Amino acid sequence: MKYLDLAMNAASSLGAEYADIRIQKTTDQVIYLRNLSLKSANTSVLNGYGIRVFFGGAWGFAHNNVFSDEAVLATVKKAFDIAKLSASVNKKKKLRLAPERSYIATCKTPVQIDPFDVPLSEKVDLMMEVNRSMLAYEGIKQAVFYLIAHKDEKLFASTLGTRLDLTSQFIDPMIIATAIHEGDSQSRTFDEGGRAVGWEWIQSLNLIEKAKQIAQEALIKVKAESLGPETRRTLILDPNHLGLTMHESVGHPTELDRVLGWEADYAGVSFATPEKLKSFRYGSEIVNFVGDNTLPEGLATHGFDDDGVPGQKWHIIKDGILSEYGSTRDTAMEIDLGYSRGCNRATYYYDQPINRIPNLYLLPGTKPLTPAELIADTEDGVYIQGRGSFSIDQHRVNFQFGGDYFWEIKNGKLIRPLKKILYKSSNPEFWNSCDAICDERFWRPFGVVNCGKGQPSQSARMTHGSAPARFRNIRVGGSQ
Amino acid sequence: MKIKDIEKYIRKHTNADDFSCSISEDESHETRFAQNSITQHIAGPKLDIYLELSFGEKSGSCSVNQADEASLDFLIKTAEDIACLAPADPEHMPSTGPAKLPEVQNCAEATMKLKPKAMVEIVQKSIDKAIAMDALVSGMCEKHLMKNWKFSKNGFEGCNESTSFGHSMTLKKGEVETKVSYEAKDYAPFDLDTEFARLQAQAEALAGMQSFEAQKIAVILRPEALQELIWYLTWMMNRRQSDEGFTAFTGQLGKKFMGDKFSLYSTLKQPTISAFPFSSEGLPSQETAWVKNGVLKNMPVNRYWAQKVGCEPQHIFNMYIPGGKISEEEMMKMVPRGLIINRFWYIRTVDMKAGELTGMTRDGVLYFEGGKVKHAVNNLRFNEIPHDMTRRILALGKEKLVSPASIVPTALVDGFNFVDKTSF
Repeated sequence: MKYLDLAMNAASSLGAEYADIRIQKTTDQVIYLRNLSLKSANTSVLNGYGIRVFFGGAWGFAHNNVFSDEAVLATVKKAFDIAKLSASVNKKKKLRLAPERSYIATCKTPVQIDPFDVPLSEKVDLMMEVNRSMLAYEGIKQAVFYLIAHKDEKLFASTLGTRLDLTSQFIDPMIIATAIHEGDSQSRTFDEGGRAVGWEWIQSLNLIEKAKQIAQEALIKVKAESLGPETRRTLILDPNHLGLTMHESVGHPTELDRVLGWEADYAGVSFATPEKLKSFRYGSEIVNFVGDNTLPEGLATHGFDDDGVPGQKWHIIKDGILSEYGSTRDTAMEIDLGYSRGCNRATYYYDQPINRIPNLYLLPGTKPLTPAELIADTEDGVYIQGRGSFSIDQHRVNFQFGGDYFWEIKNGKLIRPLKKILYKSSNPEFWNSCDAICDERFWRPFGVVNCGKGQPSQSARMTHGSAPARFRNIRVGGSQ
Repeated sequence: MKIKDIEKYIRKHTNADDFSCSISEDESHETRFAQNSITQHIAGPKLDIYLELSFGEKSGSCSVNQADEASLDFLIKTAEDIACLAPADPEHMPSTGPAKLPEVQNCAEATMKLKPKAMVEIVQKSIDKAIAMDALVSGMCEKHLMKNWKFSKNGFEGCNESTSFGHSMTLKKGEVETKVSYEAKDYAPFDLDTEFARLQAQAEALAGMQSFEAQKIAVILRPEALQELIWYLTWMMNRRQSDEGFTAFTGQLGKKFMGDKFSLYSTLKQPTISAFPFSSEGLPSQETAWVKNGVLKNMPVNRYWAQKVGCEPQHIFNMYIPGGKISEEEMMKMVPRGLIINRFWYIRTVDMKAGELTGMTRDGVLYFEGGKVKHAVNNLRFNEIPHDMTRRILALGKEKLVSPASIVPTALVDGFNFVDKTSF
């Protein structure tokens, strides 16, 4: 597109030390069905461009939704003027950019059936049937189906000579059944958290059967008992629960911008500071976390990030030791890393990209171990599936998590369902208490499509994953 | 295309039986700084055109961010296509008609006139002040000029112009971290020296932190902290969710559900607070008592459910919690011991039916005893039920404008339920 060259030439002429332009069209379709009432069927399109200029050790970023030579040139000028203003403040503390080469590439999320090509009526028919199958159960008072289809089409150019054509997309179905019984109300949710695939995934999920299952489980849950006061217990956590736990307690603490204090005013900082690299025991020896923006079907697998850095795979925690961070070109140089791990991503065209969690997952155990064997090997504990309440302090140390579905374990057996369960722990106690992880046959991905961070606030997506894992001696109990 | 032209174009080109359209514009400038440097600096316009239309009881919607004819054609056609394919909605409501809207003043001249250079000077001075005390400061200086329009086939027309200015600062000196923020429609009253002096005083009070175990204890919630809890309470206060049995508010309308000292309003009478003149459904905002002296008087309810249960639709458009005259010093003398809380952080729902929340303290906690502050303590986790907490309010202090849309006082609350502590 002509605007790429126009903008980059103009930025160079003005004296930019580095500049890039990201022309981005984001299309969302959100369908929301509640109790057979279609509350929303909306398509939104956001189309525009953001231009970043680096000058004098500082950024300027300007965006526009008008496509014309005049508007593009004015936006370049605005970004440059803002960068100059920023530089006037950063005289004593200039930002630097990690070296990077140029790339010319096209990347596209592989999909067999583009969800945007599937007629709305087909989607709504499926959602209605799912709703009906849940409402058929006496005691189910609320049946909800959210369906999100999302596509980003980006053209990226930089003064390094990079030219990228990137299309990424995902789909995210979420089904909720809410039961009411004797004054209590409890929900059960089917939620895989989104995946970078096409409609073929929806076809493979057998959502009608899943809906019946969660309706039955909501009825079991609402009639279940809670646990008494908090005591130290063993936890076995399913991948679709552990995804959020690792997001909050490993993903965010290892974002380098937080480590540097760049999020101090809002999203918070991190206890995992640079002097701990290569020596801090974050978890037990079986705990290995990998950042992987090449993961097939991963929500952060875009080919390149918004710095024009290619997707990579690296250890963030290796054999339990803090190994490296997720980084960007500007944050990497603050610890003299010399290269970026490609974690700079923006949500929409009007957002300046920021340091984001990559696809981040816990490697499976290396010895054969099934979930049934793990439960059979546990005397007294709680098995948790699905995500619930989650809260963590701004240094990413102390946290409290709920869940979606709970069973008490006694003498190697699931003996009774539970509800309103909370566990409390902290870093590094929690990951050091991990003493068993099931093997790779049981590894499952879990997507996060709404990771909020930054000022102005942005929402990012990434995929986590694990096999079921066991944690010893954790504080577990019922809520108030 | 200008707004009136967009309206004419949509009216002329849609074949729908009914429609409503919302348009918003935001011209913003945002300077983000961290650890004494500017890390992000953003400017530009935003536009959102949202069209919802229907054929009979079949509805569809679309939004775009460009106002040329091709984009508007796409907007109309996409919304119409969706509506044609959608099933009839048993809860469909027609668009609203003409309404007399309240006169509001949500714009401030000083904010409109504020230039990027002046904003960067505010940031520079904030950093200079931090350097002078051998500290690091992080924050955000931002201004927004916003315009919102809404019109419908049935004759509703509404327009709102608003401004906002914000400057936040988080100071780190040694192990001490604390924050102040100014957020209002009007830049004019903002004084950096005053704000930084407040920040410095907070930081100095937090030196020498001592370990403190989680327990039930009296707290003085400063306005920022109380506001964060009460916003969550209002989100759980939905009339339909209550009527259907999903929340703690079920069966409580008209009853003394909260504490005597607690009242909550949306108001058009406070000149410093912004008040959006109409709702997303196209209804005029009006003075509303949600809670009066502990009695649950009203709950937010949309037009469909209001019609079904026979009440007036109502919406929350700002938060006003009337305060009292008790100072923090007097509050400290009203209980043997307690904690002063600056802010909360990462509040989440633990149990919707019980109305239970969890969250952490942030930006400084002070322990007091015998009427005096003794020392700072570590941050703590709470599991607490806000509507229940209002019954334990012992005293209310001076009201403060906490954000463009909220005026909240300081509150002394007994027996606040802390359940865990963290390491800092």
